[in-house]
Amino acid sequence: MTDEILDGSAAAIANTVKTGAASALEIARAALARIEARNGALGAFTDVTADRALAKAEAIDAARARGEKLGPLVGAPFAVKNLFDVGGLPTRAGSKINRERRPAAKDAFLVTQLEKAGAVLVGALNMGEYAYDFTGENSHDGPSRNPHDLGWMSGGSSGGSGSAVAGGLAPITLGSDTNGSIRVPSSFCGVFGLKPTYGRLSRAGTFPFVASLDHLGPLARSVADLALAYDAMLGRDDADAAQADIAAVAVSPSLNQGIAGLRIAKLGGYFTRSAEPSALAAVDAVAKALKAERMVELAKAERARAAAYLITMVEGGALHLQRLKTRAADFDPDVRDRLIAGAMLPGAWVAQAQKFRGMFRERALALFQEVDVLLAPATPCRAPRIGQKMIVLDGKEMLARPNIGLFTQPISFIGLPVVAAPLWTEGEKLPIAVQIIAPPWREDLALRAARVLEEEGVARAPVAKWEP
Amino acid sequence: MNSNEFDPEALIAAMAPLLGLTLTAESRAEVALHLKIAAEQAKLLLSAHVEDDAEPAPVFRP
Repeated sequence: MTDEILDGSAAAIANTVKTGAASALEIARAALARIEARNGALGAFTDVTADRALAKAEAIDAARARGEKLGPLVGAPFAVKNLFDVGGLPTRAGSKINRERRPAAKDAFLVTQLEKAGAVLVGALNMGEYAYDFTGENSHDGPSRNPHDLGWMSGGSSGGSGSAVAGGLAPITLGSDTNGSIRVPSSFCGVFGLKPTYGRLSRAGTFPFVASLDHLGPLARSVADLALAYDAMLGRDDADAAQADIAAVAVSPSLNQGIAGLRIAKLGGYFTRSAEPSALAAVDAVAKALKAERMVELAKAERARAAAYLITMVEGGALHLQRLKTRAADFDPDVRDRLIAGAMLPGAWVAQAQKFRGMFRERALALFQEVDVLLAPATPCRAPRIGQKMIVLDGKEMLARPNIGLFTQPISFIGLPVVAAPLWTEGEKLPIAVQIIAPPWREDLALRAARVLEEEGVARAPVAKWEP
Repeated sequence: MNSNEFDPEALIAAMAPLLGLTLTAESRAEVALHLKIAAEQAKLLLSAHVEDDAEPAPVFRP
């Protein structure tokens, strides 16, 4: 019975613990047993923090026995991409090199925030090396696999985060998203993902990739869980210099307000080219459910993507230059050679890209005078097979690794908040997600729209059928 | 610039010693491929008109 609870939401698990229907310790043991049983096939976890989880669960049960107030996520298991600091573990960030680092002295800010809300950390998750990845593959730890079909990609770079949620190993995981690394696994694995506004959630205690573009956020199987996790993680943290000094508003209270009065439109132009029919059909289905009849243009999106691409190469190359000089053979070759190329690019390109960023932001803000929410594909296609190097888009064969994120990159480039909502088509074994994009600091709008889709059964995130 | 005239091998030959990088032959070919892709992206970016006084966004406030 306790095992079945793990297929439900974090909110439902918390309710079970609050009412005493199950203890936090029972939940933690069941979660650890499930990870033990399934992770060999999925490759989602790289570290399981069993002792820590059991100790935390026991402390929760003791607090409940004393009549203390319990948090909104009490007893709910969660896990984090292994670029988050977890006290006692080296923060490997998907790499071989980093696992030689000293264990982290303390947890990342967001881990602490979730634990304050009562959630129970059960481990750290597989990811593409140094987060430069859209596939979920990792040459050191093996791929994290798509729980809906193990031969297909989980998506990256937060591949383990998507795999763990879709595989029923944890109801909530945390990932990072520089160019799409939460939204791509959400699309491939069929889970909800939230990339908040740039500067909203503290990144302190995580291994960086591209400081100009790095975001952190949750993945979950319900929109309410995304909202609960987001609310729990809000909080001022001076340790992240990019965190904005803008008051945060909790999103859970407004989650069920619906979409009445919201102006919702599909993004046309760039966001309809190079997409497979399945991606466009998903956007159409969402638009129909949200009564979005307009199509609008976000001009110069292709250039925005180019700018994000170059900033990523240059900042990534600079971040890793010393390691590239001394430890080149210890990198994942697919990641290494992109980083080396990035280190060689002209500074003028990235300076121009940062200037263009401000201009593109102004365009987007002008568009948000006309609309409240924008819709676009999350990925141009469903998950490719693990190991697949090339994809065909718009009749052109291109490298899969750099191009899976071509619809996510222009959006994160200017830090807009996005919910990725997964859709399923009858007869298809794999899902595909749609980006629900809101103005800066309006995560609430994207989540409200996603909640409507969930209520109407248009978007959903089932646990993958498990066949031992 | 015209990416058709771009010679990634020449850039690698010039930059690798400057950066202190030693590349294997296999790595060199992949780096050249990524430089070509970057040059195509840069061509696209640089085709956008950017005002001289446009503010860059190193710490970005949406």
